[in-house]
Amino acid sequence: MQYDYKEKEVKINRREFLGFIGVLTAAIWSGLYAVTDVFVDRTKYIKMRTAGLYQDDEKQAARQSHKNKSLMNMYKSLNFSPTSPLAEELFHTHYIDRSVL
Amino acid sequence: MSKSYQKNELDSIIKIDEQKCKGCDTCTAFCPADAIDGAYGAVHKIDSSRCLQCGQCLINCPFGAIDDTVDAVDLVMSKLKDGKTTVVATIAPAVRVALGEEFGMEPGKLVTEQMYGALKEAGFKIMDVNFAADNTIMEEGTELVHKIQKYVLGMDSHEELGPLPQFTSCCPAWVRYMELYSPTLRKHLSSAKSPQGMAGPVAKIYGASEIWKVAPESIFCVGIYPCTAKKMEASRPEFTAAADYWKKRGHTATYQDTDVVLTTRDLARLLKKLNIDITNVKPAEEKDNPLAEYTGAGTIFGATGGVMEAALRTAYFVLTGEELSQLKYEPVRGLKEVKKADVPIKLKNSGKEITLKVAVVHGTKNVEPLLEEVKDGKSPYHFIEVMNCPGGCVNGGGQPINPMGTSWTGKFKAFLPW
Repeated sequence: MQYDYKEKEVKINRREFLGFIGVLTAAIWSGLYAVTDVFVDRTKYIKMRTAGLYQDDEKQAARQSHKNKSLMNMYKSLNFSPTSPLAEELFHTHYIDRSVL
Repeated sequence: MSKSYQKNELDSIIKIDEQKCKGCDTCTAFCPADAIDGAYGAVHKIDSSRCLQCGQCLINCPFGAIDDTVDAVDLVMSKLKDGKTTVVATIAPAVRVALGEEFGMEPGKLVTEQMYGALKEAGFKIMDVNFAADNTIMEEGTELVHKIQKYVLGMDSHEELGPLPQFTSCCPAWVRYMELYSPTLRKHLSSAKSPQGMAGPVAKIYGASEIWKVAPESIFCVGIYPCTAKKMEASRPEFTAAADYWKKRGHTATYQDTDVVLTTRDLARLLKKLNIDITNVKPAEEKDNPLAEYTGAGTIFGATGGVMEAALRTAYFVLTGEELSQLKYEPVRGLKEVKKADVPIKLKNSGKEITLKVAVVHGTKNVEPLLEEVKDGKSPYHFIEVMNCPGGCVNGGGQPINPMGTSWTGKFKAFLPW
């Protein structure tokens, strides 16, 4: 009996093979990276800084802006009040249309 | 001058270094304004006319390829040395919880006293932007209360008032976004300036005449912010209120309200150049300095929801005549992209009950659906806070970079061969 088994011809060339491996590697790596999201909280430093500010809030004797005595003294000593004409001049502004500049 | 900037405004603050850019495309995902051009794998470039100068790309670039090109550190050092100038440091809330990171402390460490101490050692006079944040609440909150009285309660008003909903105007990147991409809605922005916009006039008018007793022209106002967009905001031609005020009183000089801006990173660099280490500096309290007095409401401006919470604490008092029994307002805290809340308010004179509807957005891209509602006249809100950077100013583009591994290459450095 004659042995007539013939191996299937490879339909993929070297370049395609490398491309395929490249894509596969990228997929595996980005998959692995995505999995780290489960363990690593990438917003942790934001939460820690925010906690620092809330800690500062709770430390203060006064926690509402209208209880800032020095601020109220400033309004008194320059003889004006919020949204008065002098306040408009110093503390208010207007906005421009930047799409036409 | 690049398009979309006024004369003398700083543009192109944020730049990508062509030599260092690997074309990884990380930055485009963080850009709130689609201002970065470049295909995956190719060198990227920022279109300054679209850019908000927020610096989110800079703090998130895994290769450190993006730079803040406006550097005032040497100028500030020369002003500190010249002996004729009163150099005032105005310091934003979010700086005090991040400056420590540049000196090896853990993120979020509150270093207010060490920071004051270091600034005094360097020769600065101190004004806290938290004072100006309280000032902003008084102006912006009063404006909001007047709008509610006019549009919700139908009371007479002779003031010129913008429409509801009112948007916050504290964040310069967000303000630029509104002015550039939704200019028809800009009347919805609070007319109150940002805390930086108020800090300058306070320092150069009240500070000059009452606190430091010096000529306003001799004050050099240095803004210290967690933000690169503040550099652009400080250069706005409208922000010359102090000079305009003094011109009406016989002075002639022209200057900006805030002369230069340093980011948290810039400040750390300046202190290091002067050999000042905040980990072993004599802490200072500034108890006798009126311009360093601030309330808890002023300090939470640096986090998403903070401006809203601060405004509610005061607006509630003005409308109801009573203080809030519980100051901590959970619904506006946290990192959810859009936070919404209904605040029941019982008016002090009539006893009538109204519901104040508020929304808080961080990450400017998330504001688009809310802007659409406003455009269609269907917005249910009275007051909307927007901060450009995810998490608010604590995560601003001028903050220390990558304290615990936002950069993914950092994680693999340990076993990469190069």
